[in-house]
Amino acid sequence: MSAGFSDQLIAVLPRLRRFARGLTGTASEADDLVQSACERALSRMEQFQEGTRFDSWMFRIVQTIWIDQLRARKVRKEDGEVDGERLGSDEAVRRVESRIALVEVRRAVSRLPVEQRTALLLVTVEGMSYKEAAEIAKVPVGTIMSRLARARVALQAQLDAGGGLRRSTDDAETG
Amino acid sequence: MQKPGDELLVAYLDGELDETRRAEIEAWLEHDGVARDHIGRLSESAALLRAAFDEILREEVPERLIDAARGTGAGSVHEAEILPFRPQRRIGGFAAPRHWWIAIPVAASFFGLMIGGGLGYFGLGNTPTGTDDKQVATLSASTNSWLDNVAGYHKLFVSAAQGENSFADIPAAGDGGEVIQKISQRTAQPGVRVPNLKPWGLIFQGARVVIIEGRPAAQLVYTADNQAVGSAIGPLTVVIASSKRPDLAPTFDHRQDVNVLYWRRKGHAYAIVGQAEPGYMWNLVNDIAYQLDAI
Repeated sequence: MSAGFSDQLIAVLPRLRRFARGLTGTASEADDLVQSACERALSRMEQFQEGTRFDSWMFRIVQTIWIDQLRARKVRKEDGEVDGERLGSDEAVRRVESRIALVEVRRAVSRLPVEQRTALLLVTVEGMSYKEAAEIAKVPVGTIMSRLARARVALQAQLDAGGGLRRSTDDAETG
Repeated sequence: MQKPGDELLVAYLDGELDETRRAEIEAWLEHDGVARDHIGRLSESAALLRAAFDEILREEVPERLIDAARGTGAGSVHEAEILPFRPQRRIGGFAAPRHWWIAIPVAASFFGLMIGGGLGYFGLGNTPTGTDDKQVATLSASTNSWLDNVAGYHKLFVSAAQGENSFADIPAAGDGGEVIQKISQRTAQPGVRVPNLKPWGLIFQGARVVIIEGRPAAQLVYTADNQAVGSAIGPLTVVIASSKRPDLAPTFDHRQDVNVLYWRRKGHAYAIVGQAEPGYMWNLVNDIAYQLDAI
């Protein structure tokens, strides 16, 4: 196995974890997803084309595995449905969460449909261009554009409705 | 220019518009205070979004992921095979759930275990005994570690039993020696012992054969002998598996909302799994290990 390949993989792990956390909503599931992606990448390393972006290739693998898992589980959530376990049901714990606003933001993201969530994470969080996100998601750029707009508006609406935006702003200001 | 929609406004914020379009948007924003406010809030929520997820970048990357990236990990997404609960076996006068074929996928999905292999069942023709015409549900563990597997099996057992007490492939009824013999045969682990936990208020109900990391393992099932305190200490499962890993002192972990105390000794891996207080479980370790000759 190429040490250079593994080094690249290790270097991108924090970002893969962040992406996977946004997709799955839980740390353990996210790390399982990343681990599966690492193993798939190593088993298919010959398919990676030198000169192309390694991180994009890995994001695509993570996204593909996640979609496969969703299909396998036959998850059919309605838009906006909230998974209680993922989001936490212990109000007392959540109240004492020192950074509740940021937690609320992640919760709001988890409520988005998976296609919108993916676009949001790739572009807004990972800083990828629409074209790069479209290649990872295997959809046209226009689709990314519309998914992203719906996601951003929905996210903002959720934060406004929950008061999260105001608290988040305060949080950010007080650092 | 028409009032720009959300797609254009978001694309403007993301720097995805060409010079002409950007100028048009900026011109519009000059005289539309509502649009300015809207785009300001979109921008603010994007900053919050990044802040919320940037925290994850500062977390320490788990060792298992680094191992996986190096190709030195134990391997994830093990195909964990679970023998279905068999309704014809009854233990202790308690009725087994009638619809085990429902209980399995429900419990599996509830606890994060995912039905794999196209929901197919296949015969366990290559089991150590090869005698029973069983079917095996192939489940892909949502988590990949041995500990998560034993925790998942415990929860699967508790869920499928639905509080009606346990049921198992090898019930405890009859001669104890026969039980031990069957466990040893089916798990290919000669000399497996069944710890006597009566002094701890736990009654052995039987054993199940589970497949962990590709190898058969024994899951010994205990329930509390006192219903009044039963929910506090039982049910409890003890897993005995073969292992090629080095010896390990008893170690506590908490997986999938259950407590797991595990150790390795002389080619075997052991785990005590339950929702009892950790202190109670620690007290059990020495006794169980002594009885299993594991320490």
